Amino acid sequence: MKRQIPLLIVIILGFIFVIHVFVPHKASADFYDWYQTWIKAISPFMVLLGIMSLFMVHSTKIKRKVPNWQYSVVTLASLIGTGAVGFIWGTQAGTPFMWLFKNVQMPMGATMFSLLAFYIASAAYKAFRARSTEATVLLIAAIIVMLGQVPIGIKISKLIPEASHWILNVPNLAAKRGIAMGVGLGMTATSLKILLGIERTYMGGGK
Amino acid sequence: MADKKMNFFEKMQALDRRYIYLVVALAIIIPLLVPFNSKTYVTEPTENIYKKIDSFSGRNDRAVLLCFDHDASTMAELFPMEVAILRHCFERDVQVFTICFMPTAKPLMDYALQTAKEGYEVQSGVDYVNFGFRPWAIRIPTMLKMGDDISEAVEYDDEGRKLTNLPIMKEIMNYNEMNLVVDFAASAAVLSWITYARARFGANVAAGVTAVMAADNYIYLQTGQLIGMLGGLKGAAEYEKLVDVFACHMEPDENGIMQPAPRDFSKEIIKNTWIKMSDIKNRMHKTARIGMNAQTVAHLMIIVFIILGNIGYFISKRKKNKVN
Repeated sequence: MKRQIPLLIVIILGFIFVIHVFVPHKASADFYDWYQTWIKAISPFMVLLGIMSLFMVHSTKIKRKVPNWQYSVVTLASLIGTGAVGFIWGTQAGTPFMWLFKNVQMPMGATMFSLLAFYIASAAYKAFRARSTEATVLLIAAIIVMLGQVPIGIKISKLIPEASHWILNVPNLAAKRGIAMGVGLGMTATSLKILLGIERTYMGGGK
Repeated sequence: MADKKMNFFEKMQALDRRYIYLVVALAIIIPLLVPFNSKTYVTEPTENIYKKIDSFSGRNDRAVLLCFDHDASTMAELFPMEVAILRHCFERDVQVFTICFMPTAKPLMDYALQTAKEGYEVQSGVDYVNFGFRPWAIRIPTMLKMGDDISEAVEYDDEGRKLTNLPIMKEIMNYNEMNLVVDFAASAAVLSWITYARARFGANVAAGVTAVMAADNYIYLQTGQLIGMLGGLKGAAEYEKLVDVFACHMEPDENGIMQPAPRDFSKEIIKNTWIKMSDIKNRMHKTARIGMNAQTVAHLMIIVFIILGNIGYFISKRKKNKVN
Protein backbone atom coordinates (compact mmCIF):
# COMPACT_ATOMS: atom_id res chain seq x y z
CA MET A 1 0.00 0.00 0.00
CA LYS A 2 2.92 2.35 0.75
CA ARG A 3 3.83 2.27 -2.93
CA GLN A 4 0.41 1.70 -4.48
CA ILE A 5 -1.38 4.74 -3.00
CA PRO A 6 1.24 7.33 -4.15
CA LEU A 7 1.33 5.57 -7.53
CA LEU A 8 -2.47 5.86 -7.84
CA ILE A 9 -2.39 9.55 -6.88
CA VAL A 10 0.24 10.25 -9.56
CA ILE A 11 -1.58 8.28 -12.26
CA ILE A 12 -5.05 9.72 -11.54
CA LEU A 13 -3.92 13.34 -11.12
CA GLY A 14 -1.54 13.05 -14.06
CA PHE A 15 -4.32 12.04 -16.41
CA ILE A 16 -6.67 14.67 -14.94
CA PHE A 17 -4.12 17.39 -15.74
CA VAL A 18 -3.64 16.08 -19.27
CA ILE A 19 -7.42 16.15 -19.76
CA HIS A 20 -7.61 19.66 -18.22
CA VAL A 21 -5.30 21.05 -20.92
CA PHE A 22 -7.47 19.71 -23.75
CA VAL A 23 -10.98 20.10 -22.25
CA PRO A 24 -12.11 23.70 -21.68
CA HIS A 25 -15.20 22.63 -19.65
CA LYS A 26 -16.29 24.51 -16.50
CA ALA A 27 -15.66 21.44 -14.34
CA SER A 28 -12.11 21.34 -15.65
CA ALA A 29 -11.58 25.05 -14.89
CA ASP A 30 -13.11 24.65 -11.40
CA PHE A 31 -10.85 21.72 -10.68
CA TYR A 32 -7.84 23.79 -11.66
CA ASP A 33 -8.90 26.67 -9.33
CA TRP A 34 -9.31 24.16 -6.51
CA TYR A 35 -5.84 22.77 -7.25
CA GLN A 36 -4.31 26.26 -7.16
CA THR A 37 -5.73 26.93 -3.71
CA TRP A 38 -4.28 23.64 -2.51
CA ILE A 39 -0.84 24.25 -3.99
CA LYS A 40 -0.73 27.69 -2.32
CA ALA A 41 -1.55 26.07 1.02
CA ILE A 42 0.96 23.25 0.58
CA SER A 43 3.94 25.26 -0.69
CA PRO A 44 4.92 26.85 2.69
CA PHE A 45 5.27 23.33 4.09
CA MET A 46 7.80 22.58 1.38
CA VAL A 47 9.97 25.44 2.68
CA LEU A 48 9.54 24.07 6.20
CA LEU A 49 10.57 20.62 4.98
CA GLY A 50 13.66 22.12 3.35
CA ILE A 51 14.69 23.91 6.55
CA MET A 52 14.12 20.76 8.63
CA SER A 53 16.17 18.70 6.19
CA LEU A 54 19.00 21.24 6.26
CA PHE A 55 19.00 21.23 10.05
CA MET A 56 18.97 17.43 10.26
CA VAL A 57 21.81 16.97 7.73
CA HIS A 58 24.09 19.60 9.24
CA SER A 59 23.37 18.90 12.90
CA THR A 60 24.24 15.23 12.26
CA LYS A 61 27.50 16.33 10.63
CA ILE A 62 28.32 18.51 13.66
CA LYS A 63 27.42 15.76 16.17
CA ARG A 64 29.54 13.17 14.37
CA LYS A 65 32.39 15.65 13.81
CA VAL A 66 32.75 14.52 10.19
CA PRO A 67 35.58 16.16 8.16
CA ASN A 68 34.90 19.89 7.60
CA TRP A 69 32.04 19.88 10.15
CA GLN A 70 32.93 23.51 10.91
CA TYR A 71 31.29 24.55 7.62
CA SER A 72 28.03 23.05 8.86
CA VAL A 73 28.21 25.34 11.92
CA VAL A 74 28.65 28.34 9.62
CA THR A 75 25.71 27.17 7.45
CA LEU A 76 23.34 26.79 10.41
CA ALA A 77 24.52 30.02 12.05
CA SER A 78 23.96 31.90 8.76
CA LEU A 79 20.52 30.37 8.32
CA ILE A 80 19.42 31.28 11.85
CA GLY A 81 21.12 34.71 11.80
CA THR A 82 19.74 35.81 8.40
CA GLY A 83 16.29 34.50 9.24
CA ALA A 84 16.32 36.26 12.60
CA VAL A 85 17.30 39.70 11.26
CA GLY A 86 14.67 39.34 8.53
CA PHE A 87 11.93 38.47 11.04
CA ILE A 88 12.94 41.12 13.59
CA TRP A 89 13.72 44.17 11.41
CA GLY A 90 12.04 43.25 8.12
CA THR A 91 13.57 43.08 4.67
CA GLN A 92 13.09 46.60 3.33
CA ALA A 93 15.83 49.05 2.31
CA GLY A 94 18.05 50.15 5.19
CA THR A 95 17.40 47.08 7.36
CA PRO A 96 20.16 44.74 8.63
CA PHE A 97 18.79 42.08 6.25
CA MET A 98 19.52 44.29 3.22
CA TRP A 99 22.91 45.17 4.72
CA LEU A 100 23.72 41.45 4.93
CA PHE A 101 22.53 40.99 1.36
CA LYS A 102 24.60 43.84 -0.05
CA ASN A 103 27.73 43.20 1.99
CA VAL A 104 27.79 39.41 2.37
CA GLN A 105 25.62 37.59 -0.13
CA MET A 106 26.23 39.86 -3.14
CA PRO A 107 30.04 39.87 -3.00
CA MET A 108 30.22 36.16 -2.11
CA GLY A 109 27.89 35.18 -4.95
CA ALA A 110 29.76 37.40 -7.42
CA THR A 111 33.09 35.95 -6.26
CA MET A 112 31.91 32.39 -6.86
CA PHE A 113 30.67 33.16 -10.37
CA SER A 114 33.70 35.29 -11.30
CA LEU A 115 35.99 32.32 -10.63
CA LEU A 116 34.65 31.03 -13.94
CA ALA A 117 36.67 33.68 -15.82
CA PHE A 118 39.90 32.44 -14.24
CA TYR A 119 39.15 28.78 -14.92
CA ILE A 120 38.13 29.51 -18.53
CA ALA A 121 41.34 31.47 -19.16
CA SER A 122 43.46 28.75 -17.59
CA ALA A 123 41.63 25.95 -19.42
CA ALA A 124 41.85 27.86 -22.73
CA TYR A 125 45.59 28.17 -22.30
CA LYS A 126 46.27 24.64 -21.09
CA ALA A 127 43.75 22.54 -23.02
CA PHE A 128 42.25 24.41 -26.01
CA ARG A 129 44.48 22.88 -28.70
CA ALA A 130 43.98 22.46 -32.45
CA ARG A 131 44.64 18.70 -32.18
CA SER A 132 42.16 17.72 -34.91
CA THR A 133 40.06 19.33 -37.67
CA GLU A 134 36.99 19.44 -35.39
CA ALA A 135 38.99 21.03 -32.56
CA THR A 136 40.41 23.61 -35.01
CA VAL A 137 36.92 24.54 -36.26
CA LEU A 138 35.74 24.87 -32.64
CA LEU A 139 38.75 27.00 -31.77
CA ILE A 140 38.27 29.38 -34.72
CA ALA A 141 34.52 29.64 -33.99
CA ALA A 142 35.26 30.42 -30.33
CA ILE A 143 37.71 33.19 -31.26
CA ILE A 144 35.24 34.76 -33.74
CA VAL A 145 32.37 34.67 -31.21
CA MET A 146 34.58 36.07 -28.43
CA LEU A 147 35.64 38.96 -30.66
CA GLY A 148 32.11 39.45 -32.00
CA GLN A 149 30.76 39.87 -28.47
CA VAL A 150 32.99 42.83 -27.59
CA PRO A 151 33.26 46.33 -29.11
CA ILE A 152 36.78 45.71 -30.45
CA GLY A 153 35.44 43.04 -32.83
CA ILE A 154 33.69 45.57 -35.05
CA LYS A 155 36.76 47.80 -34.93
CA ILE A 156 38.92 45.01 -36.33
CA SER A 157 36.43 44.19 -39.08
CA LYS A 158 32.71 44.62 -39.71
CA LEU A 159 32.68 40.98 -40.77
CA ILE A 160 33.51 39.73 -37.25
CA PRO A 161 30.15 40.58 -35.59
CA GLU A 162 28.38 39.29 -38.72
CA ALA A 163 30.32 36.02 -38.63
CA SER A 164 29.66 35.73 -34.88
CA HIS A 165 25.95 36.34 -35.52
CA TRP A 166 25.95 33.65 -38.23
CA ILE A 167 27.69 31.10 -35.97
CA LEU A 168 25.15 31.69 -33.20
CA ASN A 169 22.15 31.72 -35.56
CA VAL A 170 22.97 28.83 -37.87
CA PRO A 171 25.30 26.06 -36.59
CA ASN A 172 24.61 26.80 -32.90
CA LEU A 173 20.88 27.00 -33.51
CA ALA A 174 20.82 23.76 -35.50
CA ALA A 175 22.66 21.90 -32.74
CA LYS A 176 20.56 23.43 -29.96
CA ARG A 177 17.33 22.65 -31.78
CA GLY A 178 18.44 19.05 -32.24
CA ILE A 179 19.21 18.78 -28.54
CA ALA A 180 15.90 20.48 -27.62
CA MET A 181 13.92 18.05 -29.78
CA GLY A 182 15.77 15.10 -28.25
CA VAL A 183 15.10 16.40 -24.75
CA GLY A 184 11.44 17.05 -25.62
CA LEU A 185 10.92 13.54 -26.93
CA GLY A 186 12.74 12.11 -23.90
CA MET A 187 10.56 14.16 -21.52
CA THR A 188 7.38 13.03 -23.28
CA ALA A 189 8.46 9.38 -23.13
CA THR A 190 9.41 9.64 -19.44
CA SER A 191 6.17 11.47 -18.59
CA LEU A 192 4.13 8.76 -20.31
CA LYS A 193 6.07 6.06 -18.46
CA ILE A 194 5.35 7.83 -15.14
CA LEU A 195 1.66 8.27 -16.00
CA LEU A 196 1.33 4.62 -16.92
CA GLY A 197 3.16 3.48 -13.80
CA ILE A 198 6.09 1.97 -15.70
CA GLU A 199 8.66 4.41 -14.33
CA ARG A 200 8.61 4.30 -10.52
CA THR A 201 12.14 5.32 -9.46
CA TYR A 202 10.86 8.79 -8.38
CA MET A 203 9.24 7.07 -5.37
CA GLY A 204 12.64 5.93 -4.09
CA GLY A 205 13.85 2.44 -3.44
CA GLY A 206 15.34 2.13 -6.93
CA LYS A 207 12.92 -0.58 -8.10
CA MET B 1 68.37 31.60 -31.83
CA ALA B 2 65.68 29.21 -32.98
CA ASP B 3 66.41 26.91 -30.03
CA LYS B 4 66.01 29.77 -27.58
CA LYS B 5 62.55 30.60 -29.03
CA MET B 6 61.46 27.00 -28.74
CA ASN B 7 62.63 26.89 -25.14
CA PHE B 8 60.55 29.96 -24.41
CA PHE B 9 57.41 28.34 -25.81
CA GLU B 10 58.15 25.12 -23.98
CA LYS B 11 58.47 27.09 -20.78
CA MET B 12 55.21 28.83 -21.58
CA GLN B 13 53.54 25.43 -22.01
CA ALA B 14 54.42 24.55 -18.44
CA LEU B 15 53.53 27.99 -17.05
CA ASP B 16 52.12 27.93 -13.52
CA ARG B 17 48.41 28.69 -13.73
CA ARG B 18 48.72 31.25 -10.95
CA TYR B 19 50.44 33.59 -13.44
CA ILE B 20 47.46 33.16 -15.77
CA TYR B 21 45.11 34.03 -12.90
CA LEU B 22 47.18 37.13 -12.14
CA VAL B 23 47.08 38.33 -15.76
CA VAL B 24 43.30 37.74 -15.96
CA ALA B 25 42.74 39.60 -12.67
CA LEU B 26 44.73 42.59 -13.93
CA ALA B 27 42.99 42.46 -17.34
CA ILE B 28 39.64 42.77 -15.58
CA ILE B 29 40.45 45.13 -12.71
CA ILE B 30 42.40 47.80 -14.62
CA PRO B 31 39.69 48.60 -17.24
CA LEU B 32 37.11 48.74 -14.45
CA LEU B 33 39.18 51.28 -12.52
CA VAL B 34 40.27 53.26 -15.60
CA PRO B 35 37.34 53.13 -18.06
CA PHE B 36 38.08 53.85 -21.71
CA ASN B 37 35.64 54.80 -24.46
CA SER B 38 34.31 51.96 -26.54
CA LYS B 39 31.47 51.97 -29.05
CA THR B 40 28.56 49.67 -28.20
CA TYR B 41 27.10 47.94 -31.24
CA VAL B 42 23.32 47.48 -30.75
CA THR B 43 21.78 44.25 -32.02
CA GLU B 44 18.22 43.57 -33.21
CA PRO B 45 17.01 41.41 -30.27
CA THR B 46 17.86 44.32 -27.93
CA GLU B 47 16.20 46.88 -30.22
CA ASN B 48 13.02 44.78 -30.28
CA ILE B 49 12.66 44.81 -26.48
CA TYR B 50 13.33 48.54 -26.38
CA LYS B 51 10.77 49.30 -29.09
CA LYS B 52 8.11 47.08 -27.48
CA ILE B 53 8.52 48.74 -24.06
CA ASP B 54 8.61 52.19 -25.66
CA SER B 55 5.33 51.48 -27.46
CA PHE B 56 3.64 51.23 -24.00
CA SER B 57 4.72 54.80 -23.15
CA GLY B 58 1.99 56.83 -21.43
CA ARG B 59 -0.63 54.07 -21.76
CA ASN B 60 -2.65 52.99 -18.72
CA ASP B 61 -3.88 49.87 -20.49
CA ARG B 62 -0.41 48.45 -20.99
CA ALA B 63 2.22 47.17 -18.53
CA VAL B 64 5.48 45.25 -18.45
CA LEU B 65 6.17 42.40 -16.02
CA LEU B 66 9.78 41.91 -14.95
CA CYS B 67 10.47 38.48 -13.47
CA PHE B 68 13.70 38.09 -11.47
CA ASP B 69 14.88 34.48 -11.73
CA HIS B 70 18.46 34.63 -10.51
CA ASP B 71 20.57 35.15 -7.41
CA ALA B 72 23.47 37.43 -6.57
CA SER B 73 26.08 35.27 -8.33
CA THR B 74 24.95 36.42 -11.79
CA MET B 75 24.22 39.97 -10.72
CA ALA B 76 27.21 41.42 -12.61
CA GLU B 77 25.57 40.54 -15.93
CA LEU B 78 21.87 40.81 -15.13
CA PHE B 79 21.57 43.69 -12.67
CA PRO B 80 22.63 46.42 -15.18
CA MET B 81 19.98 45.26 -17.66
CA GLU B 82 17.31 45.20 -14.95
CA VAL B 83 18.17 48.75 -13.89
CA ALA B 84 18.31 49.92 -17.52
CA ILE B 85 14.85 48.51 -18.31
CA LEU B 86 13.34 49.91 -15.10
CA ARG B 87 14.91 53.27 -15.87
CA HIS B 88 13.44 53.14 -19.38
CA CYS B 89 9.98 52.43 -17.91
CA PHE B 90 10.21 55.25 -15.36
CA GLU B 91 11.59 57.71 -17.90
CA ARG B 92 8.90 56.97 -20.52
CA ASP B 93 5.97 56.55 -18.12
CA VAL B 94 5.53 52.82 -18.75
CA GLN B 95 3.65 50.88 -16.05
CA VAL B 96 5.86 48.16 -14.63
CA PHE B 97 5.34 45.14 -12.35
CA THR B 98 8.05 43.06 -10.68
CA ILE B 99 7.87 39.52 -9.33
CA CYS B 100 10.25 36.75 -8.26
CA PHE B 101 9.87 33.07 -7.45
CA MET B 102 13.27 32.54 -5.83
CA PRO B 103 13.85 33.70 -2.24
CA THR B 104 17.40 34.76 -3.17
CA ALA B 105 16.05 36.97 -5.96
CA LYS B 106 13.84 39.04 -3.65
CA PRO B 107 16.53 41.35 -2.22
CA LEU B 108 17.92 41.76 -5.74
CA MET B 109 14.55 42.80 -7.06
CA ASP B 110 14.14 45.34 -4.24
CA TYR B 111 17.66 46.64 -4.83
CA ALA B 112 17.06 47.04 -8.57
CA LEU B 113 13.88 49.03 -7.88
CA GLN B 114 15.62 51.24 -5.31
CA THR B 115 18.52 51.87 -7.69
CA ALA B 116 16.36 52.64 -10.74
CA LYS B 117 13.98 54.87 -8.75
CA GLU B 118 16.72 57.33 -7.82
CA GLY B 119 16.07 60.61 -9.59
CA TYR B 120 12.49 59.75 -10.54
CA GLU B 121 9.30 60.76 -8.75
CA VAL B 122 7.58 57.44 -9.21
CA GLN B 123 5.05 56.06 -6.79
CA SER B 124 4.42 52.46 -5.82
CA GLY B 125 0.90 51.41 -6.77
CA VAL B 126 0.61 54.20 -9.32
CA ASP B 127 3.64 53.93 -11.61
CA TYR B 128 4.89 50.50 -10.61
CA VAL B 129 3.97 47.58 -8.34
CA ASN B 130 6.26 45.08 -6.70
CA PHE B 131 4.36 41.78 -6.53
CA GLY B 132 7.11 40.45 -4.26
CA PHE B 133 8.18 36.87 -3.73
CA ARG B 134 5.97 33.88 -4.55
CA PRO B 135 7.12 30.32 -3.79
CA TRP B 136 8.58 28.39 -6.72
CA ALA B 137 5.91 25.70 -6.29
CA ILE B 138 3.20 28.14 -7.39
CA ARG B 139 5.22 29.56 -10.29
CA ILE B 140 3.29 27.78 -13.05
CA PRO B 141 -0.16 28.19 -11.42
CA THR B 142 0.62 31.92 -11.03
CA MET B 143 1.68 32.23 -14.69
CA LEU B 144 -1.48 30.48 -15.81
CA LYS B 145 -3.79 32.41 -13.50
CA MET B 146 -2.30 35.69 -14.74
CA GLY B 147 -3.79 34.74 -18.10
CA ASP B 148 -7.25 35.11 -16.56
CA ASP B 149 -6.85 37.73 -13.87
CA ILE B 150 -3.61 39.11 -12.45
CA SER B 151 -5.23 40.36 -9.26
CA GLU B 152 -6.50 36.84 -8.55
CA ALA B 153 -3.13 35.25 -9.33
CA VAL B 154 -1.22 37.60 -7.03
CA GLU B 155 -3.93 39.19 -4.82
CA TYR B 156 -1.60 41.27 -2.61
CA ASP B 157 1.52 43.25 -3.50
CA ASP B 158 4.79 43.24 -1.56
CA GLU B 159 3.49 45.95 0.79
CA GLY B 160 0.39 43.90 1.63
CA ARG B 161 -2.03 46.01 -0.40
CA LYS B 162 -4.82 44.34 -2.33
CA LEU B 163 -4.07 44.66 -6.05
CA THR B 164 -7.66 45.52 -6.95
CA ASN B 165 -7.35 48.68 -4.79
CA LEU B 166 -4.28 49.99 -6.60
CA PRO B 167 -4.72 52.75 -9.24
CA ILE B 168 -2.19 51.09 -11.57
CA MET B 169 -4.44 48.01 -11.87
CA LYS B 170 -7.49 49.96 -13.07
CA GLU B 171 -7.05 49.06 -16.73
CA ILE B 172 -4.87 45.98 -16.29
CA MET B 173 -6.55 42.60 -16.24
CA ASN B 174 -4.36 39.88 -17.77
CA TYR B 175 -1.74 39.25 -20.47
CA ASN B 176 -3.84 41.25 -22.97
CA GLU B 177 -2.82 44.37 -21.05
CA MET B 178 0.36 43.18 -19.28
CA ASN B 179 1.52 42.42 -22.78
CA LEU B 180 5.24 41.94 -22.18
CA VAL B 181 7.05 39.66 -19.75
CA VAL B 182 10.81 40.06 -19.42
CA ASP B 183 12.43 37.19 -17.56
CA PHE B 184 15.91 37.74 -16.13
CA ALA B 185 17.52 34.38 -15.62
CA ALA B 186 20.76 32.48 -15.38
CA SER B 187 18.93 29.26 -16.15
CA ALA B 188 16.30 27.89 -18.53
CA ALA B 189 13.56 29.57 -16.45
CA VAL B 190 12.41 31.68 -19.40
CA LEU B 191 11.19 28.49 -21.06
CA SER B 192 8.24 28.27 -18.64
CA TRP B 193 7.08 31.78 -19.65
CA ILE B 194 7.29 30.69 -23.29
CA THR B 195 5.38 27.47 -22.56
CA TYR B 196 2.61 28.93 -20.43
CA ALA B 197 2.32 32.70 -20.98
CA ARG B 198 3.28 32.77 -24.66
CA ALA B 199 1.86 29.50 -26.02
CA ARG B 200 -1.37 29.55 -24.05
CA PHE B 201 -2.20 33.25 -23.78
CA GLY B 202 -0.14 34.87 -26.56
CA ALA B 203 1.81 37.13 -24.21
CA ASN B 204 4.97 38.69 -25.59
CA VAL B 205 7.99 37.21 -23.82
CA ALA B 206 11.55 38.52 -23.79
CA ALA B 207 14.63 37.27 -22.00
CA GLY B 208 17.50 38.87 -20.16
CA VAL B 209 19.99 36.08 -19.68
CA THR B 210 23.63 35.48 -18.86
CA ALA B 211 25.97 35.14 -21.85
CA VAL B 212 26.35 31.42 -21.10
CA MET B 213 22.59 30.90 -21.41
CA ALA B 214 22.12 33.16 -24.46
CA ALA B 215 23.14 30.45 -26.95
CA ASP B 216 20.27 28.26 -25.68
CA ASN B 217 17.67 30.91 -26.47
CA TYR B 218 18.45 31.63 -30.14
CA ILE B 219 15.99 28.94 -31.18
CA TYR B 220 13.14 30.81 -29.49
CA LEU B 221 14.24 34.11 -31.03
CA GLN B 222 14.15 32.59 -34.51
CA THR B 223 10.67 31.17 -34.00
CA GLY B 224 9.39 34.46 -32.60
CA GLN B 225 8.49 32.88 -29.25
CA LEU B 226 10.89 35.41 -27.74
CA ILE B 227 10.39 38.91 -29.09
CA GLY B 228 13.87 39.93 -27.98
CA MET B 229 16.81 39.00 -25.83
CA LEU B 230 19.50 40.73 -23.83
CA GLY B 231 22.48 38.38 -23.81
CA GLY B 232 24.93 38.90 -20.96
CA LEU B 233 26.74 42.12 -20.21
CA LYS B 234 26.75 42.99 -23.93
CA GLY B 235 22.95 42.99 -24.01
CA ALA B 236 22.88 45.15 -20.88
CA ALA B 237 25.37 47.61 -22.42
CA GLU B 238 23.26 47.80 -25.59
CA TYR B 239 20.10 48.54 -23.59
CA GLU B 240 21.89 51.14 -21.45
CA LYS B 241 22.96 52.88 -24.66
CA LEU B 242 19.43 52.85 -26.11
CA VAL B 243 18.03 54.35 -22.90
CA ASP B 244 20.66 57.10 -22.94
CA VAL B 245 20.29 57.88 -26.65
CA PHE B 246 16.48 57.88 -26.83
CA ALA B 247 14.56 57.75 -23.51
CA CYS B 248 16.95 60.02 -21.57
CA HIS B 249 17.83 62.26 -24.47
CA MET B 250 18.24 65.92 -23.54
CA GLU B 251 18.21 69.04 -25.65
CA PRO B 252 18.96 72.69 -24.79
CA ASP B 253 15.97 75.01 -24.37
CA GLU B 254 15.81 78.69 -25.45
CA ASN B 255 18.16 79.64 -22.59
CA GLY B 256 20.61 76.89 -23.41
CA ILE B 257 19.62 74.81 -20.38
CA MET B 258 19.48 71.09 -21.04
CA GLN B 259 15.95 69.71 -20.76
CA PRO B 260 14.64 66.13 -21.09
CA ALA B 261 13.54 65.50 -24.69
CA PRO B 262 12.82 61.80 -25.16
CA ARG B 263 12.76 60.71 -28.79
CA ASP B 264 11.56 57.67 -30.69
CA PHE B 265 13.85 54.85 -31.68
CA SER B 266 15.67 55.37 -34.96
CA LYS B 267 18.30 53.12 -36.54
CA GLU B 268 19.97 56.14 -38.15
CA ILE B 269 20.42 57.97 -34.84
CA ILE B 270 21.83 54.90 -33.08
CA LYS B 271 24.21 54.27 -35.97
CA ASN B 272 25.70 57.72 -35.75
CA THR B 273 25.68 58.17 -31.98
CA TRP B 274 28.84 58.02 -29.98
CA ILE B 275 28.48 58.45 -26.21
CA LYS B 276 31.69 58.98 -24.33
CA MET B 277 31.88 57.48 -20.85
CA SER B 278 32.76 60.94 -19.56
CA ASP B 279 29.50 62.34 -21.05
CA ILE B 280 27.30 60.29 -18.72
CA LYS B 281 26.92 61.88 -15.32
CA ASN B 282 25.74 58.96 -13.23
CA ARG B 283 28.22 56.07 -13.15
CA MET B 284 25.43 53.70 -12.10
CA HIS B 285 23.89 54.15 -15.55
CA LYS B 286 26.99 53.02 -17.43
CA THR B 287 27.88 49.96 -15.34
CA ALA B 288 27.45 47.54 -18.24
CA ARG B 289 29.40 49.67 -20.70
CA ILE B 290 32.30 50.01 -18.27
CA GLY B 291 32.04 46.26 -17.67
CA MET B 292 32.26 45.70 -21.42
CA ASN B 293 35.69 47.34 -21.37
CA ALA B 294 36.85 44.73 -18.87
CA GLN B 295 35.19 42.01 -20.94
CA THR B 296 36.96 43.26 -24.09
CA VAL B 297 40.37 43.06 -22.45
CA ALA B 298 39.55 39.69 -20.84
CA HIS B 299 38.42 38.22 -24.20
CA LEU B 300 41.58 39.50 -25.86
CA MET B 301 43.68 37.96 -23.08
CA ILE B 302 41.95 34.60 -23.49
CA ILE B 303 42.51 34.73 -27.28
CA VAL B 304 46.21 35.54 -26.72
CA PHE B 305 46.42 32.64 -24.25
CA ILE B 306 44.83 30.27 -26.79
CA ILE B 307 47.21 31.40 -29.56
CA LEU B 308 50.30 31.15 -27.30
CA GLY B 309 49.23 27.75 -26.02
CA ASN B 310 48.74 26.46 -29.57
CA ILE B 311 52.06 27.82 -30.84
CA GLY B 312 53.78 26.06 -27.94
CA TYR B 313 51.82 22.89 -28.65
CA PHE B 314 52.84 22.80 -32.34
CA ILE B 315 56.50 23.58 -31.59
CA SER B 316 56.61 20.79 -28.97
CA LYS B 317 54.87 18.43 -31.39
CA ARG B 318 57.37 19.19 -34.18
CA LYS B 319 60.28 18.70 -31.79
CA LYS B 320 58.90 15.33 -30.68
CA ASN B 321 58.41 14.24 -34.29
CA LYS B 322 62.02 15.19 -35.10
CA VAL B 323 63.32 13.17 -32.12
CA ASN B 324 61.25 10.13 -33.18
